[in-house]
Amino acid sequence: MAASDAEAMPEVVTEAIVVIDLVESTLTSNLFGWYAVGRHSLRDLRSLIGEVGQSRGLRCMRSTGDGYLLTFYHPQSAEMAAIRAVEAVFELLRRILMRNQEVSEERALNLRCAVHLGEVDVVPNDREGPHVSMAFRLEEISRASLPAALNPIPPEQFPLQNYVLCSEEVAGILSRRTKQWGVASIGLLRLKGFPGWREVFRLLPEEHAIDLGGGTRAS
Amino acid sequence: MQAPAPLRKPLALVFCDIAGSSHLTAQEGDLVASAVFREFFEHAGRLSREHHGLMIKFIADSFLAAFENIDDVMPFVISIKSLLSRNSTFVGRFAGLYFSLHYGNVMRIETSYGSDVLGEAVNVAAHLNELKVLNEIIISQAALERMPSDYRTRAGASESRSFKGVGEVEFRRLKLCGL
Repeated sequence: MAASDAEAMPEVVTEAIVVIDLVESTLTSNLFGWYAVGRHSLRDLRSLIGEVGQSRGLRCMRSTGDGYLLTFYHPQSAEMAAIRAVEAVFELLRRILMRNQEVSEERALNLRCAVHLGEVDVVPNDREGPHVSMAFRLEEISRASLPAALNPIPPEQFPLQNYVLCSEEVAGILSRRTKQWGVASIGLLRLKGFPGWREVFRLLPEEHAIDLGGGTRAS
Repeated sequence: MQAPAPLRKPLALVFCDIAGSSHLTAQEGDLVASAVFREFFEHAGRLSREHHGLMIKFIADSFLAAFENIDDVMPFVISIKSLLSRNSTFVGRFAGLYFSLHYGNVMRIETSYGSDVLGEAVNVAAHLNELKVLNEIIISQAALERMPSDYRTRAGASESRSFKGVGEVEFRRLKLCGL
């Protein structure tokens, strides 16, 4: 019997999946040194994620090299896990902007964030499954993706850093359950490995809850 | 200089998706595949101009083209389909083509990356393409009503499908074999 057959089937849960990528982390490490700057940046990020995630159902935090894969769980409601995850991400961005004002330029942290909700396989300190891949596909979206989108916002309106993208699933939950954040479509995109067109949304923080992106509010 | 004001007008929107592109990349590698796609898109762009259309964008292994006169669409579609059997670069490399057609109001704009069209009609044309069957064109009822009678009589039975964010769309299928 193969070793994999002997392993118990992983637990399947619905969690909010967050991918956080540190903008230009490799460049910063190459320019200013991994030991001088890079490792401190990643440690600071990990510490901040721990702080904002702890009370919001953070269950998994795995390094992706230049960022983190996070999952959030809510025992009563999967939809609440998505809301808690978005709350955590915006709180993380807020704390990072405050931190950036206090540290030297080369130690500044800038992030790209993506949030999705779906069933995942729970494996030790990690998560697996197509919904995890979907979250990574969302995080990879950039200005350069927009010419290939349908009904895209102008690329110039897409921020370069410190933004949050989300899937249709998460946008739908937020639109139904809270008015705390703005939800603006950035267009319909094809995501590698996933059939059909996916509408992708940018989430706007409370103070910009009105659509700034020229997109439409999720219905 | 100021960019021209966006223009809202009804257009026929053709969406075309290449079948078998993943197989091509797997079999012959991404360098060959990208060269083949580039040549296909060059021909598609040329043919759209020859048929008085505008190639809006290439998206991976698909494209979106727009036509002011819907009568130009089917000659364009047939010429694209012919590429697969007549051009040695494409013979045996693609499994076929999936086409869809919709007619509706769109906003034509100039962007930093070229011309684009915005509006729900674009989404309809793209979503119809997801219902694909090889060597058929899926035509929305809105488009079919404006097409020459010859095509209207050849079209299959009426079907409908609901698409997220768009709602119910009525359409028919038209086989491209024999056209």
